[in-house]
Amino acid sequence: MDAALSLHTALRVPEPSTEWSARTRERDLIVAAQHGDRDAFAELVTLHQRRAYAVARAITATHEDAEDAVQEGFLHAYRALDRFRPEQAFGAWLHRIVANAALDIGRRRRVRDADALSDSVALPFRDPAEQDELRRRLTAGLEELSQRQRSVIVLHDVEGFTHGEIGNMLGIPEGTARSDLHHARAALRRTLGDLWSQR
Amino acid sequence: MSIEPRIGPHGRDDDLTRALRSVYAAPSDDAYWTSLAGRIMARIGGEAAEQWWLPLARFARIGLVAAAVALVAARIALSRDAARQTAIAYDGVIETPASAPLQVATDATPGSVRDATLRYVISP
Repeated sequence: MDAALSLHTALRVPEPSTEWSARTRERDLIVAAQHGDRDAFAELVTLHQRRAYAVARAITATHEDAEDAVQEGFLHAYRALDRFRPEQAFGAWLHRIVANAALDIGRRRRVRDADALSDSVALPFRDPAEQDELRRRLTAGLEELSQRQRSVIVLHDVEGFTHGEIGNMLGIPEGTARSDLHHARAALRRTLGDLWSQR
Repeated sequence: MSIEPRIGPHGRDDDLTRALRSVYAAPSDDAYWTSLAGRIMARIGGEAAEQWWLPLARFARIGLVAAAVALVAARIALSRDAARQTAIAYDGVIETPASAPLQVATDATPGSVRDATLRYVISP
């Protein structure tokens, strides 16, 4: 009896981890979507839209542009789904598409009003005076950065992507992403530094 | 005053990161994400609805070509038939049928009767 129990224990398949299960589920959804199941694609949208928005928001100047980029990105992804290979990471593939859509929108709207950034976001700080000053300084600092530097610092410091992932998304070498991050941090510290040191 | 940023792990400036997060914060309301997903799927559905006829377009093209070929063929056939009808009619006009009866002309005038009588008298 004990031998049977130990054999059963030895042969028992380990419980699939949540991550493994989620990946399997995602792969099933992708295959179903590739076969024309639109509900499966809708579920993929629900799973990935927040991260896709974060990527788009890091690249575009406004929330509205980020939203457009997310919609464009998912539309492109849906059209290109047949070309997606299951061994790829769907998230990385999608982020690349969304990043390209965001870069396209950025190119089309390069001459957008400089105040759009500050109009489109809400800063949840306690002290209104500090909030206004911080907003003003941060907005000014972000506008002094190149679009690529801004995207790199947000994707890395806010969203937690690695240099390699950022390079892949933006179509730049990893070293360039690293260098952009260094310069962007230094520029924003210069802009905000004295404000913070007064606290 | 000196600038002394608080640097976190991986070289992050914690204050800077916090400030950036506040600027780039994604909407936290679930209703927003439900709505966005709905709009994305509506766009995908709309595009699919606009292009539902695309698979049929190939067949439509083939059908149009077939109809054009049929039209040309019908026109050629009609034109040949018309030419044949014209030829038959022409032949009917210019050709005298061999079996057509000959009409013998008879002169029924009084002068002819007299000539006949005279030929009878003088005949041997």
